[in-house]
Amino acid sequence: MPDADPPAVEPLARRAFPARIGVLGAAVGAGGLLTRSLLNPADAATNQLLPPAVDLIRPVLAELARDTLNGLTVFAMPGPDAYSRTQGTPSPTPGAMESGATDFMINALDHFVPFPDAIAQPVGAALVTGLADSGLADTGLALPGLSVLPVELRTLDRALAAYLQSDETLPLSFPIAGLLNLMATQVNPLAVNGPHLSPFARLTYAEKAAAFELIERTDSDLVALLDVHFPEPLKASVSGLLKFVGGALLEFATFGAYSEYGVFDKETKALRMRPVSWSLTGYQPDGPVEGWDDFIGYYQGRKEVHD
Amino acid sequence: MRDVIVIGAGGGGPVVAKELAAKGLDVLLLEAGPRHAKPRDEWTTFEDDANNPLTGYFRPGPSDRSKPAWFREWPQNSFVWQLSGVGGTTQHFYGNYPRAYPGVFQGYDGADRNEYDVNHRFPFTYAEMVPYFEWVEATMPVMTAAMGHKEQTFFRGAETLGLPVQTTKTTLGPSYRPQENAILQPGGTAGKTSDKNLLNYPQATGCTFCGYCFQGCMRPNGAPRNQFAKRSTDNSYVPMALTANVWARGGRPIELITDAYVTRVHAERRHGVLTATGVTWRDNNSGAEHREDARVVVMSGGCTENPRLWFNSGLPNPNGWVGRGYTDHFFDWLIGSFDDSTGNPKGVGSSARLDFPPYGGLENVGLPPALSAFAGTLSDSGIRGQYGNGRGKTGPWDGPAGRVMGPELKELMAGGIDKLMTVLVITDDDVEPDNRVTLSALPADENGPIPKVTFKHRQRTARTVRNREFMARKAAELLRGAGAKKVYRIDWAPLILHVQSSMRMGASEQNSVVNPRGETRAVKRLFVADNSALSNALGGPNPTLTSQALATRTAEKIFATYFGGDPWVRSESPVVSTDPRVSVRLGQLGL
Repeated sequence: MPDADPPAVEPLARRAFPARIGVLGAAVGAGGLLTRSLLNPADAATNQLLPPAVDLIRPVLAELARDTLNGLTVFAMPGPDAYSRTQGTPSPTPGAMESGATDFMINALDHFVPFPDAIAQPVGAALVTGLADSGLADTGLALPGLSVLPVELRTLDRALAAYLQSDETLPLSFPIAGLLNLMATQVNPLAVNGPHLSPFARLTYAEKAAAFELIERTDSDLVALLDVHFPEPLKASVSGLLKFVGGALLEFATFGAYSEYGVFDKETKALRMRPVSWSLTGYQPDGPVEGWDDFIGYYQGRKEVHD
Repeated sequence: MRDVIVIGAGGGGPVVAKELAAKGLDVLLLEAGPRHAKPRDEWTTFEDDANNPLTGYFRPGPSDRSKPAWFREWPQNSFVWQLSGVGGTTQHFYGNYPRAYPGVFQGYDGADRNEYDVNHRFPFTYAEMVPYFEWVEATMPVMTAAMGHKEQTFFRGAETLGLPVQTTKTTLGPSYRPQENAILQPGGTAGKTSDKNLLNYPQATGCTFCGYCFQGCMRPNGAPRNQFAKRSTDNSYVPMALTANVWARGGRPIELITDAYVTRVHAERRHGVLTATGVTWRDNNSGAEHREDARVVVMSGGCTENPRLWFNSGLPNPNGWVGRGYTDHFFDWLIGSFDDSTGNPKGVGSSARLDFPPYGGLENVGLPPALSAFAGTLSDSGIRGQYGNGRGKTGPWDGPAGRVMGPELKELMAGGIDKLMTVLVITDDDVEPDNRVTLSALPADENGPIPKVTFKHRQRTARTVRNREFMARKAAELLRGAGAKKVYRIDWAPLILHVQSSMRMGASEQNSVVNPRGETRAVKRLFVADNSALSNALGGPNPTLTSQALATRTAEKIFATYFGGDPWVRSESPVVSTDPRVSVRLGQLGL
């Protein structure tokens, strides 16, 4: 494996990248979540940045991830909420937001996907810095508004890098959100600005589909670029994993939206109320059963067969 | 020193354990996952609680559900539906017990003999297998499935295809029929009432038509474990193995240890021959390692775990076939939308099928909402109306194949879950060396390097692709014939749930891991007895019966070869797994 120095960082590209993955909007946009102390140069000068910066950046990334996953779950099951309206497919009956599908995704991704941190960390790092260095983000130079990015971004960028280099376990929802937001800005560069916190949540239904088309594409540029940062045989594994992730996000978000997750009481193993999908589909109108009166006989009256 | 250690209490291991326990051998059965001894306390009827592959009680993972599931690498859009726990994947199966098609066995001389996976046939004849089929069919017992409204809907469609009804156990040609299934058919009030107060055992016996096969069978309420309707091995073979002293003369109950993850098979050279000597397992809860020796070791961990264990044990792989030749029936999925109720999803998950040798088969499948929605979005063809991911085939279904997603899915589901009927396309797929299990380059877990399951699903053989397209068209025609107003083809990404042949038995030393007796070619006293030992994809029939018949045959070979005993299948009569002596003894054991 060649051990050449990483390519020199182009400052503007590095600044563009947090915008592309949505961190900028979450941190300093309208209702920005990044505490002022992190952005305050005086504080930055007196603090070591680590570990406090890690603590400061975590809630920012968590809110960004939640917003992004809201955009995903309404893609799976739209409802009467604002995200579904932004997507352009509002629906009068309850959908993913009402069924708790975003919590389902975050819980699963952050606590139960036994995804090796040894992979999640470098993927996350690649999403934050690697791609910025790789040239994929160069188109960001043309993004509207980037020429006036606040100087504080350099600090934000460092905080992100610090988080990824720390020993903190990376919640998988962070790099997943980063991936979706990066793809969002690929299909619609204007998604760096707008309602909600995340570029992905700002997309129309067709644009979200286009983002998944990019992730699923067999030899996507994204896959190739990310692979640069892994030696073989990990290279092929990461490439394959991303293809898997593209499909799994759609399938798992849909499963969660149509499941009883949001109303299931783990202690009593009972439902607190009727699941959204049960009302939608008419599934077992009187709740769980021991059986149904659906036995209508044997086909052609035949109860056994022999050779 | 045990006589036999069996690794894995899924669909295959308990068969060997029960058969050899009946012969008085000292058998240790090790299961990596949970015991599930008290299903009424542990299980529900809910899809996420049961079937979430990360957090559900039916997942590949330890008993402690606060701990993550076991991670496996799938380097493509796919889903490998593994389960740990006593019963393995039979815990969520539908109990379908069709026999393998005769055309996949050595010596078949039918007119279509050249149309099967001719390079990977079973190394013995169908006639030799029949007594083992019959033994398992009698043990379970296998019966002709009762019919609910969703079966009636399926048959209405099948009747339009110009095919005969199969009235034999053996599939002789294209035909349709009720499933032959390992379900106790409804008795008493079962299937005749929805009043739960009237559905307690023994007022109700057999299948109550609850529709929860995929969440685990624990009905009728109050029945002994071996009288639950669905004959998953936790309800059939395992209870028999634990009580072998009461129903078999000279029988000896097995010892079952759960949360016991086998990390290594030990072997040493004896008289110049590499010979299995025992295993090491790790306790999921304490992390403690245990080692025990045995005269014979049987691998029954499944198509994904057996190769992993082989590699992690450092066992030789001279022809390179360990983990290769993995078959999955290259499933596809069609959804029909109806104006009237189809009966979905009441009753056994699937009680009707259509067989079409040498192409494969079809079966109806009933699913609750979340699994239905999941099944509608698992695709290799993008999102209908948005992108096709380079595929998106058109045909006798409506529009291009692909995910039914978002607003379209919601509209479909809002029409009513009982207005849908789904058909599973089961392809007779070829054994292909590049569809395989290897060790992953990703970090190891507590049990060692993890398996990687690779399917080159866009490079399947021409025969496999032809078979799948043929059966997908038949499925669409069947749904139209049944009255579907709209038919969707999903073009599933690999849903690896019927698994076969990754440690395949074969006549040739060049392309098999297991010899025709079930013993591994590379290591003496090491046998494989589960779906992974199957020689091929069986032509398409669901694999459990054939796998258990082969495991029964392998148990005989073990007994005859290493314990000086005689085979019994041709000379004795099987005891049925519902035997009241088993029930009484389970009660005494608090099971």
